[in-house]
Amino acid sequence: MKIRYYLFLGALSCALPVLSAPPAPEYEFFIAANINRNYVIGSKIVTTNGIFRRDVAGAWQHVGYNDTGISAFAFDPRDRGVIYTTTTNGLWRSLDGGKLWRICNDSEMTEGLDVAVDPNAPDHVYLALPDGIAFSSDRAQHLERREHGLPARGKFTRALAIDRTRAGRVLAGCEIGIYLTEDAGKNWRQVLPTKDTVADIQQSPHDPRIWFAVTQSAGAWRSADGGLTWIHVPAAPGDRPLHNVTFDVTNPNRLAIGSWGRGVWTSEDGGRTWTDRNAGLPAGARVWRVGVDPAGRLFASVVEETLFQSADFGRAWRPDALAGSAVKKFLLLPKAPK
Amino acid sequence: MKRPLYLLPLLALVGLRLAAQPSFEGPVPSTVPEIDEDRRRAAYVRRVDEILGWAAAGGKATTDDPAKLDLAMIAAKIVRGEDLPGCSQRVIELMREPGTGPFWMFPTVCIAYLGRDRLSPEALASIRTAWKTTRQQRGDTENHFVMYYASLYLMAELYPDESAETWYSGRSSAENFAEASAFLIKWIDTNTTVGQGEFNTSNYIGEYAIPLSFLANWSKDPAMRQRASMMLDWLFAELATSSLNGVLRGPHSRTDEGAVIERWQAMTSFFSWLLFGNTPPTAGYSGWGLYFAPLAKSYHLPEVTYRIATDRRGDFIQRDRARVRRLWRYSDELSPPVYKTNYLRHDYGVGSTTGGLIDPIQSHVWDVTWAESDPRGKHPTMFSLHPHSSSRAMQSSFTAYPEPMIKGVTFEGKPSYDSPDKLMGSSPFEQVFQDLDTVIALYAIAPGERFPHINGFFSKDLINVTEDDSGWIFAQGGRAYLAYRPLASYHWIPYLHYKSGWAKQRLNLGGRVLTSPHLNNGTIVQAAGVGEFTDFAAFQRAIRALPLAFKLDPLPAVEMTTLRGNKISFTFGTVPQVNGRAVDYRAWKLFEGPHLNAEVGGRKLTITHGRLERVLDFNTLSVTNRVK
Repeated sequence: MKIRYYLFLGALSCALPVLSAPPAPEYEFFIAANINRNYVIGSKIVTTNGIFRRDVAGAWQHVGYNDTGISAFAFDPRDRGVIYTTTTNGLWRSLDGGKLWRICNDSEMTEGLDVAVDPNAPDHVYLALPDGIAFSSDRAQHLERREHGLPARGKFTRALAIDRTRAGRVLAGCEIGIYLTEDAGKNWRQVLPTKDTVADIQQSPHDPRIWFAVTQSAGAWRSADGGLTWIHVPAAPGDRPLHNVTFDVTNPNRLAIGSWGRGVWTSEDGGRTWTDRNAGLPAGARVWRVGVDPAGRLFASVVEETLFQSADFGRAWRPDALAGSAVKKFLLLPKAPK
Repeated sequence: MKRPLYLLPLLALVGLRLAAQPSFEGPVPSTVPEIDEDRRRAAYVRRVDEILGWAAAGGKATTDDPAKLDLAMIAAKIVRGEDLPGCSQRVIELMREPGTGPFWMFPTVCIAYLGRDRLSPEALASIRTAWKTTRQQRGDTENHFVMYYASLYLMAELYPDESAETWYSGRSSAENFAEASAFLIKWIDTNTTVGQGEFNTSNYIGEYAIPLSFLANWSKDPAMRQRASMMLDWLFAELATSSLNGVLRGPHSRTDEGAVIERWQAMTSFFSWLLFGNTPPTAGYSGWGLYFAPLAKSYHLPEVTYRIATDRRGDFIQRDRARVRRLWRYSDELSPPVYKTNYLRHDYGVGSTTGGLIDPIQSHVWDVTWAESDPRGKHPTMFSLHPHSSSRAMQSSFTAYPEPMIKGVTFEGKPSYDSPDKLMGSSPFEQVFQDLDTVIALYAIAPGERFPHINGFFSKDLINVTEDDSGWIFAQGGRAYLAYRPLASYHWIPYLHYKSGWAKQRLNLGGRVLTSPHLNNGTIVQAAGVGEFTDFAAFQRAIRALPLAFKLDPLPAVEMTTLRGNKISFTFGTVPQVNGRAVDYRAWKLFEGPHLNAEVGGRKLTITHGRLERVLDFNTLSVTNRVK
């Protein structure tokens, strides 16, 4: 009896950590970077551009095609070999890890600005365009416009963010505000009007009800109800273009904003207060994007300088790699099954 | 009188030298029209042969070293049947480092087709391989798309039934062809119903003419061949009605810093030389001209177009429509209409749009340009503008983020974009009205604008520039008298010339810029022919006598009677009135004038000169010629 009791306790002690605190998912850290200073359409590409994955040694490994015009990218959550990239041409897709690529759109769609894959419906792909939003239900083999509810003008769409809690629930950052669909783009409605383009929308990795959005000249905004309502974040910089916002997967209170003109700003209290973290970065505060890796290291892409990283969330910086780059997107993703 | 025979060998040598000389270094051609059709055609063929000979001989490199041949030289050699093994070898070398967009695509298409039965299989295969391995940028402008899709269309036709994985696009030949065909048909349809976006460009005419020429010759589809051939006619008819002795004048959707001042320094001059023979070509046949030449002999310029281009005996006015480049943001319309006025006389031309933003960087809204017997090196033009520089304006047309764009465009062929003394570009704070050879440009510049002033261009080639007590500035350019009336105080700064949009430095060649630092502002220019007055003083007296009243606040407004007797009333933000009647822009046709006529939505252009008429009907894909 006693033995059984101890065996039970032993089994419970092994199981408890799993039951009480499931292990954090393992993440992979990607960027899309252009190192194309002085490139004009038609010229030869002499640098390596496109998607890079950070390996365990901290080196950036190029993935897929050397594309100088990349603006955003996404993966199929089931299979890292299925890659989507947005570029001047529109949307490209690879099904084999980047060896072969297919342009997914025709001449009626151009200049893809963002792409997102629904983790709960991974065949569903959303494409942000300068004149609206396109949708595919078959991994971008076919694309169709899904814009009902978007305004006739003002639907320039810079950012897409998919709610990981429910299939078909997507937020779009447009010229005149944030739009929400809850039926995979069949219907959109405005949930936040803004006076200028919404540049980025992010969902907290810790609490799916918490969202942050930044805009080109209308400051930063926070939602605590899954994106239904938004409140302005007055402590965040708002007088210059904010390019992106990122959460820290290791700490629910930490966020960072990348801004052209205001550089890097961070918050360590969930977005209530914000601190200028540009000391140690090149002058000019020309930050294109910020990102946080799975270990909580903060990265900042300073345009045409290099990528910088900080182990203490912006208090001290050191150069990383990719001299001359502009990082167009940081992406932290749970590891895919394959 | 007996001619000394000993001079004959010398004259022959001189003649040979002149004949061997490239025309861009030779004497200015005659502007007298060649009425005889056979002689006209023979002269055209000689010009084509001149280009091909120059290019085949190494062009600017003047070398026989095959390692220095570029695709244009190879194209010329193929046409002439010279050194085909060397060409094949060089193609293989060049295809090892393919380019990345339409400016690479169409030259390779040119070689692929010209070399079909002349280059080695390995050379042809190297081109095909490059179209598999290297992703091609489609670009973001109208000319990019036309070049891209014309090239893709032809390559897909040349290699039909090939699978998706053999193309950079990941689409099969059939898919590539269908996509390209759909775009080309829609583009032609748009142009023939609501007008071109990149209208009257100084330098992009080749980017349209060359792909259209390829399609007109090489497409297997007779309908596409016909469409392309008719669009070439359309394009060249517009050039004919807009040029003065072969020199294109404003307005332009897109031009560059060199061409907007040295009006002849443009690719359109190459096409005028080639087609009309009435002005010299620019150096190296404008570069892209080398890709028009290989197929040029298959093009037969309609006589009616030739006559329009070369006959400036009578005055004429064209009122046409075009459209603004796509505005993704910050606009109520995606592509609003543009209303163009174009008044041509023997000695000068006056052209304008109604102002506002057209293209965010390279537009030119209005000017008076006079004829020069040799236009090379001359700056025969007068205009004013608001030097608008705005990242927001660029964001309306470009999807890139705003901040680096201003710096970026300055090394992408638009070096003056953020310069306060620039002389190129349109502005939302400029509104223009033209009545024959009178232009009224009004400016209401928003407070806080980066450059709160306007610039007026005064050429080094003006003579008798006189700042009159009346407030008018009088001058003479060629055989045109000009009166320029600034509506606010001004000062002068030197004009510094960019030789082209890619110029690295500016040159002080003479000329001045009238700079007027006032938000509410205006310019009136009245032109007249020298022959209309007994002398310059008489012209000045006539201008001084014109009834003129203006005010600048709260908004600029002008009421005047023009030299032609029309009473104009024009206030910024309102529709201008002529003799008490408001101008009804909405009623403007796609083309309306003595030479070009088309209805909006009509898909049919009637080209007329005297009794000659040619109708391009895209509804039926038919061309009808008639002598009335």
